[in-house]
Amino acid sequence: MKDKDNFNATLAAATCALLGSAVATPVVAQEEASRWSFDSTLLYYGESDDRVQDVSAAVSAQRDFGDERKLSATLTADTLTGASPSGAIALDRPQTFTSPSGRAVYTTSAGDVPLDDSFLDTRFALNASWTQPLARLYTFSAGLGFSTEYDYTHLGANLSLARDFNKRNTTVNAGVAWSQDDIDPVGGRPIPLSQMLDVGNNGNKLDGSESKDVLDLLLGFTQVLNRTTVLRVNYSYSDSSGYLNDPYKLLSVVDPHTGDTLSRVPVGQGPDGVYVFESRPDTRTKQSLYAEVKHAFGKPVMHFSYRYMTDDWGIDSHTGEVRLRWPLGDGYIEPQLRYYTQSAADFYHASLVDAAAVPRYASADFRLGEFDATTVGVKYGHDTASGNEWSIRAEYYQQRGSVPSEQILGNQANREQYPDLSAVIVQFGYRFKL
Amino acid sequence: MTASGTATLSRDADHWIGRFVAMASPCEVLIDDAPPSVARQVLDAVSSEAWRIERKFSRYRADSAVHKINESAGSETLVDDETANLLDFAATLTRLSDGAFDITSGVLRKVWTFDGGDRVPSQEQIDAVLEAIGWHKVEWRRPVLQLRTGMQIDLGGIGKEYAVDSAAELVAKIAPRLSCLINFGGDVVVRSQRTNGRPWRVGIESYARAGAAERVVQLSSGALATSGDSRRFVFHDGHRHSHILDARTGWPVRNAPHSITVAADTCTQAGTITTLAMLKGRDAEELLKASGAQYWLQ
Repeated sequence: MKDKDNFNATLAAATCALLGSAVATPVVAQEEASRWSFDSTLLYYGESDDRVQDVSAAVSAQRDFGDERKLSATLTADTLTGASPSGAIALDRPQTFTSPSGRAVYTTSAGDVPLDDSFLDTRFALNASWTQPLARLYTFSAGLGFSTEYDYTHLGANLSLARDFNKRNTTVNAGVAWSQDDIDPVGGRPIPLSQMLDVGNNGNKLDGSESKDVLDLLLGFTQVLNRTTVLRVNYSYSDSSGYLNDPYKLLSVVDPHTGDTLSRVPVGQGPDGVYVFESRPDTRTKQSLYAEVKHAFGKPVMHFSYRYMTDDWGIDSHTGEVRLRWPLGDGYIEPQLRYYTQSAADFYHASLVDAAAVPRYASADFRLGEFDATTVGVKYGHDTASGNEWSIRAEYYQQRGSVPSEQILGNQANREQYPDLSAVIVQFGYRFKL
Repeated sequence: MTASGTATLSRDADHWIGRFVAMASPCEVLIDDAPPSVARQVLDAVSSEAWRIERKFSRYRADSAVHKINESAGSETLVDDETANLLDFAATLTRLSDGAFDITSGVLRKVWTFDGGDRVPSQEQIDAVLEAIGWHKVEWRRPVLQLRTGMQIDLGGIGKEYAVDSAAELVAKIAPRLSCLINFGGDVVVRSQRTNGRPWRVGIESYARAGAAERVVQLSSGALATSGDSRRFVFHDGHRHSHILDARTGWPVRNAPHSITVAADTCTQAGTITTLAMLKGRDAEELLKASGAQYWLQ
């Protein structure tokens, strides 16, 4: 087009005449196409000794509407297989249990810590949240979450409000979250502390689902201490009420002298020992205090955090974590170390003693016992030329627990009381924009 | 109107931010990592240049070149090289726009007020003002200019973009390799690439929501200019008229895009293309396409 060439040539010549000798650099501009960004992860979690294996895939999509208004949604699919300790103690003889469905039996070999019957569970979860500024210095966000698996449904909602102060060097935020979980165990809900019955006898199981409500309150404070250091402190309060039992966990009832599980003769197929279902309180109140410091030493960034948690079940826990993000080529490498320790719940009993008074609450779930755990890991992230990032993270988790010595009776001292656990975690991540 | 003021310098994560006000606009200079003394020197050079151009081409200041020309309407005035260059440039734009763009059209402001209200002048009022408009009525034999009595010139339409390029030229002399982003009220230029290889990010304001970024443009080098009616418009017969006036009719251009952003090698080129496209009204995009420049419409 002649007109077009004319227009451009005339304009270029006129500009050159106006700006004189100015040597302009050719324009290099492109619109930031970051309206949608995605974060996808594939995670493998595998416990030693063929216990729980979990493969989890998650895709999170974030839509930026500009002006700090963001919508994000995350879809997660989980496949869980394997078995976890049922709570029953190991014996020198094989043990037979009725499966949760009440329709079959399974057997644990002599000397082994009894595990739940093997399971395969698939979980889907969807979470969505919306964030936007409310007024100058105020940011509001609201979210909804839903997840479902064969015996469990979760529905949650949360709201939070943050306010910046002090030239945005200080942020105070407050949040509230509520959730309701419905539990409909396979084979029904066992009556707490009732005895495991023979196959076909569901006399101690209740039909229908039970629910659990959780209310969380959070108060947070973030302070930029200087150009290289940021401090964050959170206090949270959590109140759970409703059905807090694990319907598949057991306690062995043992002889006070030998420490062995009492024997029982099944009618047809059924357990060959005396096992009762656990009983937990129907409320739990937790409080936790979390502090985090991030400090940049030039390019490398150090992250240190500590959490203290205490609840009215008698569990106190401490978590410390250190991460160091070190730039490496077009990416970074981030070693990580985490240590966790907790005390046992007041009603944690490795087993129940025959003839002793039956406590109101009792659980032999190892997660309520005293244990500590160490995680060592490393993450490598790489920025691609197109501005995306892929990463790989590997962690090794080692958990060691103990049972209070006064709870170890007779022959139990010769056996493994608290099964140690180790696990490997591998995660691939890819973050990209459309 | 103040023609100088204070320029403040503050530090962000990996660059400096200098801020000041000039030409009735918030101005900023983002300076890539540099020693504080260099950053201060760059900011001072940029702000001084903005204030110099503001003073020189102000319509109001008694000591300005433009004021002097307007005061001597009816008789000959000798202008300096810089003013002459701007007049030549303006004359070219008038030719390229078939008279729609005209630096003598500023007098239309006597009858048009773009304050978001609904006051519209009568055709008689506009016709009266049009008598004093038209570059073809001006005697321009560089370096001598003679306006007819009652005529005025206003370089506001090109002065800001020119100031951006001119300031960038000064910075290139002080610190040739240092990357900085010069932004005078939305007219932006970058000369050198940043040391980290990353582009500067320029938010383009949404015409509908002041302060909100409609989109973000990554600018490694070159210029961006935006023309729009986010805050300057008038309502008439249920129509929202932009503040862009066609010098031939004295009426605001109708059906122009709300906002046009153009990327070009220099801010002057980018600004010219946005202005000429706006003057095309409904056909703005045709001109943008023909210019071959990258552009964004709202």
